[in-house]
Amino acid sequence: MSNRGLQRTLALLAVGCVFAPLLPGLVMMAKPMLMPDIWRQLWADNQWTGALQATLYSTMISVGGSLTLCLILLCGLWPGAHWQRLTSRMPLLLALPHVAFASGFLFMLSDNGWLARLCGVSFHLDENGVGLGILLALKECWFLLWIASTQLNQQSLSQQLTVAQSLGYGPLQSRMRVLVAQLLPRLKWALLAVVAYSLSVVDVAIILGPSNPPTLAVLAWQWLNDADPQRVAMGMLTSMLLVVMLVIFSTVGYAIWRLSRRCLGQFSGKRHQLSILPLALGSGFIMTLTGVAAIAMLVLWSFADGWFYPALLPDAFALSGWQAAELSPLITTLVLALASSLTGLLVVVLWLEGGSSRFDLWLALPLFLPALPLVAGQYQILLVMEQDESWLGVIWSHLLWVVPYMLLVARPAWQQFDSRLTITAQTFGWSPWKILCWVKLPMLIRPLLAALAVGFSVSVAQYLPTLYAGAGRFTSVTTETVALSSGGDPQQQAIQALLQMLLPAIMFIAMRQLSSLFTHYRQGLR
Amino acid sequence: MLRVQDCSISNATRSLIQNMSFTVSPGEVLTLMGPSGAGKSTFLSWMIGALPAEFSFQGELWLNKQRRDTLPTARRNIGILFQDALLFAHLNVGQNLAMALPATIKGREQRQYYVEQALANAQLTHFSRRDPATLSGGERARVSVLRALLAKPEALLLDEPFSRLDQTLREQFRQFVWQQVEQQAIPVVLVTHDPQDIPTGGHIITVNGSDY
Amino acid sequence: MRLLTLLLSLVAFSFTAFAQPTNWNALRQQANGQTVYFNAWGGDPAVNSYLDWVASEMKQQYGVTVKVVRLADAADAVKRIQSEAAAGRKENGSVDLLWVNGENFRTLKQAGLLKEGWAWQLPNWRYVDQKKPVREDFSQPTDGAEAPWGSAQLMLIGNEQADMNFPRSAAELLAFAGKKPGKLSYPRPPDFTGTAFIEQLLIVLTHDSQALRLPPDPTTFKQVTDPLWEYLDKLHPLLWREGKAFPPTPARMDRMLADGELLFSVTFNPAHVDNLIDRKLLPKTAQAFGFAQGMLGNVHFVTIPANARAQAGAQVLANFLMSPQAQIRKATPAIWGDATILDSTTLPAPLNEQLDAQKPVHQQAVPYLAEPHAAWVDALEKEWLQRYGAK
Repeated sequence: MSNRGLQRTLALLAVGCVFAPLLPGLVMMAKPMLMPDIWRQLWADNQWTGALQATLYSTMISVGGSLTLCLILLCGLWPGAHWQRLTSRMPLLLALPHVAFASGFLFMLSDNGWLARLCGVSFHLDENGVGLGILLALKECWFLLWIASTQLNQQSLSQQLTVAQSLGYGPLQSRMRVLVAQLLPRLKWALLAVVAYSLSVVDVAIILGPSNPPTLAVLAWQWLNDADPQRVAMGMLTSMLLVVMLVIFSTVGYAIWRLSRRCLGQFSGKRHQLSILPLALGSGFIMTLTGVAAIAMLVLWSFADGWFYPALLPDAFALSGWQAAELSPLITTLVLALASSLTGLLVVVLWLEGGSSRFDLWLALPLFLPALPLVAGQYQILLVMEQDESWLGVIWSHLLWVVPYMLLVARPAWQQFDSRLTITAQTFGWSPWKILCWVKLPMLIRPLLAALAVGFSVSVAQYLPTLYAGAGRFTSVTTETVALSSGGDPQQQAIQALLQMLLPAIMFIAMRQLSSLFTHYRQGLR
Repeated sequence: MLRVQDCSISNATRSLIQNMSFTVSPGEVLTLMGPSGAGKSTFLSWMIGALPAEFSFQGELWLNKQRRDTLPTARRNIGILFQDALLFAHLNVGQNLAMALPATIKGREQRQYYVEQALANAQLTHFSRRDPATLSGGERARVSVLRALLAKPEALLLDEPFSRLDQTLREQFRQFVWQQVEQQAIPVVLVTHDPQDIPTGGHIITVNGSDY
Repeated sequence: MRLLTLLLSLVAFSFTAFAQPTNWNALRQQANGQTVYFNAWGGDPAVNSYLDWVASEMKQQYGVTVKVVRLADAADAVKRIQSEAAAGRKENGSVDLLWVNGENFRTLKQAGLLKEGWAWQLPNWRYVDQKKPVREDFSQPTDGAEAPWGSAQLMLIGNEQADMNFPRSAAELLAFAGKKPGKLSYPRPPDFTGTAFIEQLLIVLTHDSQALRLPPDPTTFKQVTDPLWEYLDKLHPLLWREGKAFPPTPARMDRMLADGELLFSVTFNPAHVDNLIDRKLLPKTAQAFGFAQGMLGNVHFVTIPANARAQAGAQVLANFLMSPQAQIRKATPAIWGDATILDSTTLPAPLNEQLDAQKPVHQQAVPYLAEPHAAWVDALEKEWLQRYGAK
């Protein structure tokens, strides 16, 4: 078989192994759509309209807020010393898992939270999905900034900015017209993932979201967990409807983009010198402050020995909670995350080399579908192959979510890779494999390390796959945190949330250090 | 009249430019020559106001009796051409040019007229709606010059704008640039390492990273 | 000294164990060296540490390795068992012992997914208090598929303050809510405790209590439940957030009680209060109380799926859970405080005294009321959601 053919086969094989359960999962989910009385049941249930409203609010605030914040920070701070400082802060805040951030956020901003004790304001954040939307906006903004920063490392962009400024356009204007206009299309997949996550998030919505009724995703989750098969069918139907909502959101987003493209292309020639540096600095400060405050809340709670309203500090501090905490979930999580991110890297590289980018959308599907039906499909396959409750089985099930995120991070880098370098190497008589190992991979080391870090933290945050594929044998820090969040002990919850945060944070920092190590001697790789 | 006074630029390890001073009259082209890495492009970025943060600098820049080095790039009213044409990839050729037009030209038809005029001047009629990526290297370079000059700058800086072009194109493009610049009668500073780029009768300053 | 007497009585006790039927010994031999996966709700660190103690005792006494699988919700394990059945997994199932109650038990038993007839064969069954509903779960016969583990009673928790009289009936509760609007609530159904609270109100308010022992009849449903809905319609506007939102879990309500946002919380474990006070999660003045007429109570069980891998080990574990040693420790408020299902009169001294001594301190005891039939849970939840499930 020719080298190209081998590459293609391996790519299809790798991807096929990981994504096979999509099909039975999708079939299972789509079946209730054909049953009219399930539709009728859904229509009759009065929780539905409230849930839809909550979901719409939270998603729109989340996407609009995160994009606005991201653009404000970009237009205000790039490029320059402020931007460098911002990007150096990113690993820690990116690695803060959603559940941990939400717990800290709740401790801070709930009606009995710290802020309420400090100045008596009470926000009622958990009504209508507003609080959920704000939290997601704050968290997803870091994600968008991370993706954007990987796109911005090109000299031509900063030179284009200089040209625009030399034409007389002020800081904000030049960045809007030149930078944002070229960056937004490159962010489209990241934005889609943000919309999908906001629509279908369950664990954060349980902590911060409205409860009467909950968001559509939580409602579907409750129904899917019910013993009554009719409710289960309603849950599946709602999951499919979430997908439909995603399609609607992306269509509307695309329409807005097309309209704004026309506006962006028209120039009245008016120049203004507006700079949003103060606004950007302020926003960046508030965002970092929220993240740090959430972590501080968690730390305080983890050492608290009795802490009641309206005290601003715990009654006493004790190490007893930490001493009682278990370390085996931490080890399990570490092993699982390392194994799945490394395997995921292999799969992603094989696909990027051998597969066509036209099918990327299919591979990204797990990001856009609710997890439960997919996990059920995976579990069926594992049962049949008698690989459930094995390490291999759990790692394999994690891959279904790890691979799409890693692809999201690595694909742009692959696309931007100068093909002339490959051609040059081919003229030396090198095979595609040799080119891959000796030319491409070393040159793309930064995006690959970034992808590895992302895959690692995705694996750490997995709950349903660890629970199902592991058949309960594997406890990760996430399963522990979720199990504890159904109880009422904030101290243990805070400890597990901090442990959940520890691993991805270390990984992100390590990858960043490795990155700068590699590029210290080779500036062209930056 | 463009005047640079006592400009010194250095980074952490060495000093690139020391006490550079010169004057350029309107319509005149000053060439800065020197080997690569000597600091010529860095000097230009100081002039345009885009000097990276790792450099420290001193000196004054005066243009038409106004001090410019204290102003941000957008207010200096100085144009720049780089090695790459750097056309904005998300806009078509016409929009690239329209972006440069000053606000005093109002109305869509008016602005379109000026753009078409400039394109005709450069033998690029009917290029207004083209995607910049589909243009050849020479065409891109010409559009880039048009864009820089449509903004009616008071001075123009050229950072090795010819080095990416092949010999025949180079000669044509050079003539095109000097022709356009002559029409505008503004001071021009050219940075190059190729002696053939120097226009006849222009002054030369050699920059070689140490005393000159 | 007490420890010594405990040890001596256990030694004397174990001699009587030799009088066990031979199949128990065979079971013990089989169990030796097995690993039992015990799936249990993991949301309470007190329960978790108790189960860790159980695991170490099982290893020492029986050579059985117990791995506790902590769940956020028993339904997770139920779905797993159902998936395994759907995939044709008749043996080597992933769940060996499951802590289960009510609805979930009914689902599994009706699908024939449970091992049956074993609970009565266990040696420690003779100490079980037969007066408690140990042979039926939510009015559904267990057929020996469940071994009782502890008993529970729905109670309210309040903070004892000088000028506060705890309400002792539904009418008093309504009046109390009127005096202190916005300070009371209950967990939102379908949370287990929330539904139980609604059932409790139904038991005391309905005019036809006989109908509750049978599955709900659509023709009489309205008539039986009308007093409940009328009451709730009056109560809700006086509740926290005017009844437009409800706390998601009783654990969250405990927190709100501790912070003073609510005046009462709800719990299924009366000794929970002692435990929470010990762990500094509730102020020292907290008390558990209930209606004078009685509060509904039930028993919680452990069950073994039909496809469990370590069946012998699971039975030995279930037996240990019912043992006086384990039950006394479990009932100790400082450790967990879950009420026992053993009858102390069947135990030799000093075990019986020790069992009796584990009475919760911060509690005002009330009579037990029987639970309605299991099918009422679903019917009430549906109706509640329809009426109050959205703003």
